[in-house]
Amino acid sequence: MTATPATADHPVLELDGLTVRLGRRMILDDLRASFEGRAIGLLGPNGAGKTTLLRTLLGFYPAAAGGARVFGRDLGRDGKAIRAEVGYMPESDSHIADITAVHFVRLMGELSGLPSSAALERAHEALFYVGLGEARYRKVGTFSTGMKQMVKLAQALVHGPRLLMLDEPTNGLDPPARKRMLELVRDLRDRGTSRILLSSHLLGDVETVCDEVLILKAGRIADSCDLEAERRANRSFVEVDLEAPSADFESALVDLGCEVASLEPGRLKLVMPDSVAVRDLWIAADRAGVGIRRLDLKRDSLQDIFLRAMEGGRGGL
Amino acid sequence: MAVYERIWRRYGGRLTPVGRRWTVVTRYALAEAFSSRFFTAFYVLCLLPTLIGVFLVYLSHNAGLVASIGLTEELMGGLTDLFFQVLFSWQALPAFFVAVIVGPSLIAADLANNALPLYLSRPVDRRDYVLGKLAVLAILLSPITWMGGLLVFTLQSSLEGGWWWRDNWRIGAAYLVGHATWIVVISLLSVAISAWVRFKPAARGTLFGIIFILAGFAQAVNAVTGTSLGDLVHLVRAIINVVLWIFGMPLRSDLPIAASWLTLAAACALSLWLLHRKLRAHEVVE
Repeated sequence: MTATPATADHPVLELDGLTVRLGRRMILDDLRASFEGRAIGLLGPNGAGKTTLLRTLLGFYPAAAGGARVFGRDLGRDGKAIRAEVGYMPESDSHIADITAVHFVRLMGELSGLPSSAALERAHEALFYVGLGEARYRKVGTFSTGMKQMVKLAQALVHGPRLLMLDEPTNGLDPPARKRMLELVRDLRDRGTSRILLSSHLLGDVETVCDEVLILKAGRIADSCDLEAERRANRSFVEVDLEAPSADFESALVDLGCEVASLEPGRLKLVMPDSVAVRDLWIAADRAGVGIRRLDLKRDSLQDIFLRAMEGGRGGL
Repeated sequence: MAVYERIWRRYGGRLTPVGRRWTVVTRYALAEAFSSRFFTAFYVLCLLPTLIGVFLVYLSHNAGLVASIGLTEELMGGLTDLFFQVLFSWQALPAFFVAVIVGPSLIAADLANNALPLYLSRPVDRRDYVLGKLAVLAILLSPITWMGGLLVFTLQSSLEGGWWWRDNWRIGAAYLVGHATWIVVISLLSVAISAWVRFKPAARGTLFGIIFILAGFAQAVNAVTGTSLGDLVHLVRAIINVVLWIFGMPLRSDLPIAASWLTLAAACALSLWLLHRKLRAHEVVE
């Protein structure tokens, strides 16, 4: 059996009816989605199936039905080939306590296929990259929680994987360490050398890092969206309350290229084209001689999307 | 790139063959074992039976040296089957202690620190992992046991000359097959226990218990029933019987040699099943 060749044309992740049962419990139920972004967020409350999905992609759990592909490689047939291209940072405390950090990261690099000397060199680089350069000769068992999170990140990226799977990477971190972790993940995303698959129940983490989101609820897909497109689409969605109804103002908005709907006298809802800024609305109102009582630049935040998904589905905007 | 520059880059170099990744597990575990001075010193001591065997073989073929240290050739006598049987036991016993010291820490530490997801999220599967850990014991125990035994056998053959080796091939076969079987059984047992008992001293105690308590239990069963049925759980007797069988000597049990092989095979199968049950990247509660 030969492995499916992975090419740049394939989506990062394709879920094709993926179903996972553990014992009699259905953990993931018929997941279908496809993602091509630089950073994909797995979002959902505790127990939604985020970690199970990651573990299934790594081959820890078998699929009861359906399947998945990572960079076009089939999960059922090419498990080892997928794992060769993945760096995994588990959620729970995972390390080898009695060896130094550099020894630990080197071991993980060698297991991923790096020759011994290259693994040693990259272990040093990875530890410096995550900010553990000065502590690299300390035994991992003596590290604080924050340092253990960082060393887990170092071992995940030592072999330069195409896909980094990060399971709750900010767990147990204090605010500065959390900021540092998110900066590192963003940096990795922006370099473009690795795609990111980030699982978190923290909206802020996902919103900061990801451009695509899969929201899980009780093992099912509650929603999936291109966060970047959502941000772009909603940047221009505005509600305006005027001091008095003004036909001149409405026609000025139409002239600017806005789509305008009047909800009630003196209250407008409009979608601005990319070329129009909020400042232009103020100028138009001034020219029309009407005062603006309230201007609400409505952004559909990830929180809105998440809450709608948790309530049972997406409503129209 | 200087390592302190905090810049990340992809790796574009060659990769090692996937089929050989288990050797990484072995190499690091061996380094870990020899990082203890106590173990290193003990391991050197374990080679003493072989060195003494080599010395005795040399001595028995050197009349001048025998006379110079005040021994008579009659006292030295020829090297009999008994010499080789005793040497076998003196090699097998330290091998057991090496397995007791090293075996329980091989997997227990990884399980205690939840390291298995890190191994198994790479192109390494459970079979590679177990193979890598078992190879540690095979590499450590081989020089103490069958390699040392074959060295003594080869030396004796060359010093005796002629067709001695052909007339005594059973000795060489007993060293090779007997020790190899012992290594497989004791390695599988200790690694399986290591997977289930995470506290190292407890794991060592369990291994001792399985060998010696089962032996006591077997003798009690034999005494009560007046049969040799207890030998079915007596691992040490089973391996001794296998060696005696290869030597062409009477067995220490009324049961046929197949029963001894069955006992050893059952111990191996049980160990593999225990490993299969326990070695998972994550616990699954069914």
